Amino acid sequence: MGNHSYRSMEFNNLIDRREFLKISGGISSMIGAGLILGTPSLWAQEQTKQVPPQPPKTNLDGALKVPKTKYSLPGPFPGRVVEVHDSAAMVNDKVNADIVNAMFEKGITNLTGKNLEESFRLFFEKDDVVGIKVNPVGAGFISTHLEVVDAIIAWLRKGGIPAENIIIWDRFDYMLKDAGFTPEHYPGIGIEGLQTMDEEAASGKRKDNSRWLTKEGKHVSTDNFDKDVYYWVDVEGPKDLAYLNQHVFNGKYSYFGKLLTKKLSKIINAAVFKNTGNGISMAAKNIGYGSICNTNRLHRPLFFNVCTEVMAFPVIRDKLVLNITDGLRAQYEGGPMPAPKYAYYYNTLFFATDPFALDMICHNLIIQKRKEMGIKVNEHPAYTAYLRLAERLDLGIASPEKIKHIKI
Amino acid sequence: MKIKTIIIVFLLLSFYLPNQQLELPGDDFVDDWKKNGPLRQFTGSALYNYINGGSELFLEFGFKELLLQKYRKGEDEVSIEAYQMESPESALGIYLMKCGKETPIPEISIRNTGDQYQFMMVKGDYFVLVNNFTAKESLLPVMIKLANITIDRIIDKKPAELFSILPKQQLIEGSELLIRGPYSLQTIYTFGQGDILLLRKKIFGVAGDYKDEKGKIYTRIIIKYPDKAYANKAFNHLFSNLDPYIKILSKDNNSFTFKDYQKKIGIVSLKNNILHIKI
Repeated sequence: MGNHSYRSMEFNNLIDRREFLKISGGISSMIGAGLILGTPSLWAQEQTKQVPPQPPKTNLDGALKVPKTKYSLPGPFPGRVVEVHDSAAMVNDKVNADIVNAMFEKGITNLTGKNLEESFRLFFEKDDVVGIKVNPVGAGFISTHLEVVDAIIAWLRKGGIPAENIIIWDRFDYMLKDAGFTPEHYPGIGIEGLQTMDEEAASGKRKDNSRWLTKEGKHVSTDNFDKDVYYWVDVEGPKDLAYLNQHVFNGKYSYFGKLLTKKLSKIINAAVFKNTGNGISMAAKNIGYGSICNTNRLHRPLFFNVCTEVMAFPVIRDKLVLNITDGLRAQYEGGPMPAPKYAYYYNTLFFATDPFALDMICHNLIIQKRKEMGIKVNEHPAYTAYLRLAERLDLGIASPEKIKHIKI
Repeated sequence: MKIKTIIIVFLLLSFYLPNQQLELPGDDFVDDWKKNGPLRQFTGSALYNYINGGSELFLEFGFKELLLQKYRKGEDEVSIEAYQMESPESALGIYLMKCGKETPIPEISIRNTGDQYQFMMVKGDYFVLVNNFTAKESLLPVMIKLANITIDRIIDKKPAELFSILPKQQLIEGSELLIRGPYSLQTIYTFGQGDILLLRKKIFGVAGDYKDEKGKIYTRIIIKYPDKAYANKAFNHLFSNLDPYIKILSKDNNSFTFKDYQKKIGIVSLKNNILHIKI
């Protein structure tokens, strides 16, 4: 396992973590025997019939009322997913940059039906400020490969975008560095995290919170988020310092990073091909959980739908023009943490303007791989419900029969 | 007097040692390998600060403390993660959830699976990982040494025999799993939301895959509840809160059959304090 915080998504809407700990703490404090602790008769006092959970209220409706633009999701190619494979792209842990560049060109041109130069003009203007959202979790092992980002940057630069108008970003600054996204490797290119987090304080190793907490009791990254642009959900974030350290805010607001609201005019989403539990942590999750703060409170009540709802806000919907999922090395189990036992050289890159069609294809491919490898597979519809929600919101295509999957 | 003192010291040690923190190998555990950075320690729910949502499964199985240490020699790095769980059964539960098809490293004497990237091991209350993300095969002897020094310091306690309630006939070897709540259950199947089987992170259920005469694979989940009344409560809770995608085909007092979203037929039956599920 790596050395950072990871997110996984699972389907347990009814159990609040704190409540769960409280219950188990109470039970284990009683005297029990063998493998079963506690006094079952006490548990029987609880109601048997659960109240069906209602999703919490959000401000999604407000976002949906904003008229779409010509760049809005699902972009010019709804439901079109291009898969490019080259078995020589990554061998013995080494990525062949020339092959990745060739794969990139095939991917873009087969997606758009135009050459690279014309494709550039389809998505960008020369004065755009383009953010490349990478996934640095699992740094150096199952994170976005530098060679893929290099190919994207070369294309943008050739199209006329100056280096200073290209920004590689993620939610956490320190993860970018660990994954190799450094000024030394990318001279002149912006590298920005939406926030910092003091890992030593988070691990309890250091009691001093001054590295991340101001004297006024605010997170040092507070001003990196835009108080005017937010995803409001009627669920409170925990009040403890550990949560604040990791999530910057802890109320009912998840603010978008100012990088997205004030600086970037276009976004390229460079996710990684990997699972998270029974679902996937790819295009939608890379953006959905990477663009806002105060996210942990949202996992349980909204599950993967957070990704779709966040991407429905104009700050993402109207700027996210291209999605590339990096499957040079892929991981079918154990994710989103790096789990080498379940990783393999897939040597495949995926291209789409429609992140939801892309995720549906990749979800089905990872299920297929899990079955081939003898991993238990739970194909409950809850794990792809966020993709169908996206189709209902007219943000993308999720119905398999409407998706055109092109293999090169 | 001397014998009395020895007995007292022995008794004190026998009480004290199981709770003592595991000491991970220090500098020079092999050749010139040195510790790289401080020992990191995560206790209880602080595990969220390390693996965030991934910690739910560990906590469900009774996670107590993680010790993490990196080691370096020149450009090479390996690391060890020792997860202390509340019991050998808990440690086995998390190991089985993580290990997949086991490929044991012969030089390691305890139950393990591994390759040049990572070893996973289980001994007593501990689930232990040794990592080498560069995958250099030349580091395998270092990983083995690191693993062996560490596991020698772990008290060997055998888990209770939980799998004896799983029928052996047609059982696919290596498919056995333990469940203890919603996170481990959802690896296998979704019956509904929350702790649908009322395992409460305390009651262990067992699961295994089977292959019938026609080659069809099915799964059994068997849970031995503490008493008949609680088993009955769990059965009723399951029936009353089934996932909306599950359709009941038939029901009597102690069993029901259902069809799921994949048109798979399942059977749930209760006999005394034991719940049997076949899907």
